[in-house]
Amino acid sequence: MSTAETDLYQEVVVEHKRTPRNFGHLAAPTHQARGTNPQCGDDLRVELDIQQGQVHDIRFNGQGCAICIASASMMSEAVKGHPVADAEKLQQHFRAVMTGQSEPDAAYLGKLISLAGVRRYPSRIKCALLGWHALMHALHEAEPDAAPTTPLANPSPPAQAQP
Amino acid sequence: MGDMHLFHHLTQPAGQTASDVRAQFPVLAQRVHGAALAYLDNAATTQVPLPVLEAMRRFETHDRANIHRGVHTLSQRATDAFEKARSDLRRFIGAGAEHELVLTSGTTEALNLVANGLSSAHAGQVFLQPGDEIIVSGLEHHANLVPWQQAARRSGAVLRILLPDAQGQLHTEDLAQLLTPRTRVFALTACSNATGETPPYAELLAMAAKAGVLTVLDAAQAVAHAIPNLSTLPCDFLAFSGHKMYGPMGTGALVGRRSALERLAPLRYGGDMVEWVTYADAGFAALPSRLEGGTPNVAGAVGMAAAANWIDQIGRDAIDAHVEALRAQAAAGLAALDGVTVLAPHSTHSAIVSFVVRGVHPHDIGTLLDEQGIAVRTGHHCAQPLLEHLGLGPTTRASFAIYNTPQEVERLIAGVARVLEVLR
Repeated sequence: MSTAETDLYQEVVVEHKRTPRNFGHLAAPTHQARGTNPQCGDDLRVELDIQQGQVHDIRFNGQGCAICIASASMMSEAVKGHPVADAEKLQQHFRAVMTGQSEPDAAYLGKLISLAGVRRYPSRIKCALLGWHALMHALHEAEPDAAPTTPLANPSPPAQAQP
Repeated sequence: MGDMHLFHHLTQPAGQTASDVRAQFPVLAQRVHGAALAYLDNAATTQVPLPVLEAMRRFETHDRANIHRGVHTLSQRATDAFEKARSDLRRFIGAGAEHELVLTSGTTEALNLVANGLSSAHAGQVFLQPGDEIIVSGLEHHANLVPWQQAARRSGAVLRILLPDAQGQLHTEDLAQLLTPRTRVFALTACSNATGETPPYAELLAMAAKAGVLTVLDAAQAVAHAIPNLSTLPCDFLAFSGHKMYGPMGTGALVGRRSALERLAPLRYGGDMVEWVTYADAGFAALPSRLEGGTPNVAGAVGMAAAANWIDQIGRDAIDAHVEALRAQAAAGLAALDGVTVLAPHSTHSAIVSFVVRGVHPHDIGTLLDEQGIAVRTGHHCAQPLLEHLGLGPTTRASFAIYNTPQEVERLIAGVARVLEVLR
């Protein structure tokens, strides 16, 4: 089996691509945003129901490559039912791992550790980050239906001190 | 099918065997992720054979100086080398006494030169007037679409698209419907880089020319094989790049009827394109100089001409037969895989095979093929509107050159089959 198969397309990643979790729409999202990777055609929308600082519910929809869909699926599982602040912390760590700024914390990442290999494939990093970027954009936008946004176009968040 | 069988036609006039040809491209003899490189991304750029590199090296080590302006020996040799490159390329493309060939940095610059030139003031006039119409085909690469969008905006002309049918094919009847007395320009590709579609460009150009319209042909994907002959085409402007015909990057040509080129406002003002200059004003040089402002890529032009000569040594018919057979082999093998749709299946004179796979994204296909040493291209191929019009997203594209082999095509097909197993 070749390296990309083991690095990028582990069984759990392929499974999330085939059967993405929380794929669809919310009836009444409180926050939403769209993210696109124009070069490769990845296009995701993340819809959130935020109540009292918690991600009460989340859906995502759209199209994209296996890495993009799997990452968004795992993301949705990881943040659903948790405080917004936890989602932001997780996003920061995941992004830092993807961009090679941090080593992955396997216990903290859970299933998301299966995507750690993406950081060795520069052309695929934006794919893994697209759903997360849309999630952050949705959380920070006051109105729904914000303009589409692209990962890595904005300045990186300030580096976090390692615990 | 052994590779000697398909290469046998190469052993006749040129006397070169398959391995002789491949040996002229050292870049191909490497391993990627532990597998022999199968470079199938020739529509993005072709590789450069040793004789072309040698011609450029000889220029830089023996004849290099700036051109046109010096009285010393080296500058004369450099000028001669540059002008010989120009005349070699003229011969290659079939230019006659009524044509000028302008050396550019590539097809994109050439097409910008035309679109900008027709929509900007030159000799007190702008060719395109408000309300005039520009027809561009729906197959175009962004380089033959976006400059026309700008030209329309700049001049007040209207842009009209000659849309292909659901199979991605253009029809003369549709062009007939679009032509009006206000149509001034018709721009068309000789081969779509996104789908491999080869429209009936001679017929379409003739129809437009008959209506008194200036015709523009993007020949970027049709100069390494199925090369058009300008002497038989009713074509005012033809653009192509060196790097897609076994030549260096950063080189290209805009060749056209002198009467048409005369209408173009220059894009690069400055040295070499003027006859006289005062602080207040300048008088411009004759063609082709007027459109070649600044020091050109002289070694590049020498290399591009060497590539043209190399193609003719191998033989155009031999190259055509070779790449078209590979395309046919690839199209058949890929179409036989479950869930794979090959675009433009009818396009037998193409060296490009572009395909989509149900439930599998090109990005994943491309990464996993790269892992097997196979280089293909994925995405919109700078033809986003075309792919959207056809109801497609990004595709995976393999494209062939004279040094590719049937074995590499087999690896591509087996590679895609393996990708489908992993991801579906």
